[in-house]
Amino acid sequence: MNPPKAGRAEATTAEALPDEVVDAAIAWAVKLDYGTPTPAQRAELEHWLAADQRHALAWQRLRSMRKDFSGLPQKLALDTLNAVDNRARSRRRSSLKLLSLGGAGLFAAWMARQHTPWQRLVADASTGLGERRRLELADGTVLDLNTDSAVSTTLTDDSRLIQLHRGEVRIATGADTGALTRRGAKRPFLVRTPHGTLEALGTRFVVRLEAERGWVSVQEGAVSVQPEAAPAALLRPGESRWFLHGASLPAPADGMEAGAWTDGVIAGHDIRLADLLAELGRYRRGFLVCDPRVADLRLSGIYQLNDTDATLAFLTRTQPLQLKYRSRFWVRVEPLDQP
Amino acid sequence: MSLTVQPDPVAELYRSHHGWLHGWLRRKLGCSDKAADLAHDTFLRVLARRPASALEQPRAYLGTIARGLLIDHWRRRELEQAWLDTLATLPQPQLPSLEERAILLETLHAIDRMLDGLKPAVRQAFLWAQLEGLSCPRIAERLGVSLATAERYVAQALRHCYALHFPA
Repeated sequence: MNPPKAGRAEATTAEALPDEVVDAAIAWAVKLDYGTPTPAQRAELEHWLAADQRHALAWQRLRSMRKDFSGLPQKLALDTLNAVDNRARSRRRSSLKLLSLGGAGLFAAWMARQHTPWQRLVADASTGLGERRRLELADGTVLDLNTDSAVSTTLTDDSRLIQLHRGEVRIATGADTGALTRRGAKRPFLVRTPHGTLEALGTRFVVRLEAERGWVSVQEGAVSVQPEAAPAALLRPGESRWFLHGASLPAPADGMEAGAWTDGVIAGHDIRLADLLAELGRYRRGFLVCDPRVADLRLSGIYQLNDTDATLAFLTRTQPLQLKYRSRFWVRVEPLDQP
Repeated sequence: MSLTVQPDPVAELYRSHHGWLHGWLRRKLGCSDKAADLAHDTFLRVLARRPASALEQPRAYLGTIARGLLIDHWRRRELEQAWLDTLATLPQPQLPSLEERAILLETLHAIDRMLDGLKPAVRQAFLWAQLEGLSCPRIAERLGVSLATAERYVAQALRHCYALHFPA
């Protein structure tokens, strides 16, 4: 009924520490955690921690408070928390309370109109989280939509146009036999995204949309990538590229096989655990957080997407990892505790 | 709830003053349902605190608790609005799912409550440190204050949060 109170659970059993110990630990934290510590300072801290158990306890408690903030999307959290404070303060200052709230409401409504999930509504096809879906178009093209994706398609006499509104799609273009343009050529096959346009030249490829950029990986044939305001690039099988306004650049391999999700798996060699979890997180609700201490662990294998909880459990059986469930929707992957 | 034969002071309080409290909250909120919720929460708080004997000024006591809940309620509405405004500025692919939003909002509410009472500059410095991982020298730069001041701000916020997490 009541919202969870950040970290209050420990409070009832906590041993009270003298103020001077807490203050000293805070002074250390300010210098070391929030400053640019020298090796000498670090050594001094070690010394201080070892000097008294209560020092170590105070330090550990300060560290534990950080989890109130862990896993939060930085900008979203910061913008919201700053806005609410400004809002509250300006309201207290202002005698034009109703007027200002009305204005904010109108502005919010206008913003909402600009940004609410209309894509889902205009899209021809969309998938929810964890869902995948196959579409066949009249020209023989097959579209595989990955989790949380939306596309719309327009086949005209002159061109075939796919718009990717969100998420990821694998496209296997159809031969388009017998449907030539008025000038007698094959209809071009275009994929439009907010970050640039792709032209497929008889092919199979994957396109993914992220917040700041798009990603394309070619499996067969060739694709020409035309970012907004930057030169086009031609991709051959096995090549991947990021593209965004003003640039496109080769995407470094992350070990994961592009489009393996069409078979319901993530597959690859030498995948960083952090990358694997980020990928797995796209198929499930809530947060999947990777402890930085195990972020660089390398994994090879095939990971099922249909039941991501089972896949996480599988990881803990095969790797020195454990799962910490803060709630059903908030999972942290951590190294096994040292015995 | 209790097997004692003596009249329960909380039950007594409820019988005599629930109607008044509900009316008082309804006038503040302009919504009977929400007022009923907050009246209920007020009595839950009273139960948790268990006043030992009959209160001398029961309505003043109930009013103090209810006022705290009201402020919390308004603050939460404000946070929700700020949250919606922030979400509205996000490009589509960055929007969290509905469940994520619910969890995030709860977490932000908890943080907002935790930081309640801090000076704006202290709050700002601490949020930068925690959420953006800014160091004190950078915070000093951004706020246009000395390094010592920035460090004092972060220390103040840590002290404040520590006291809430680990009350003496």
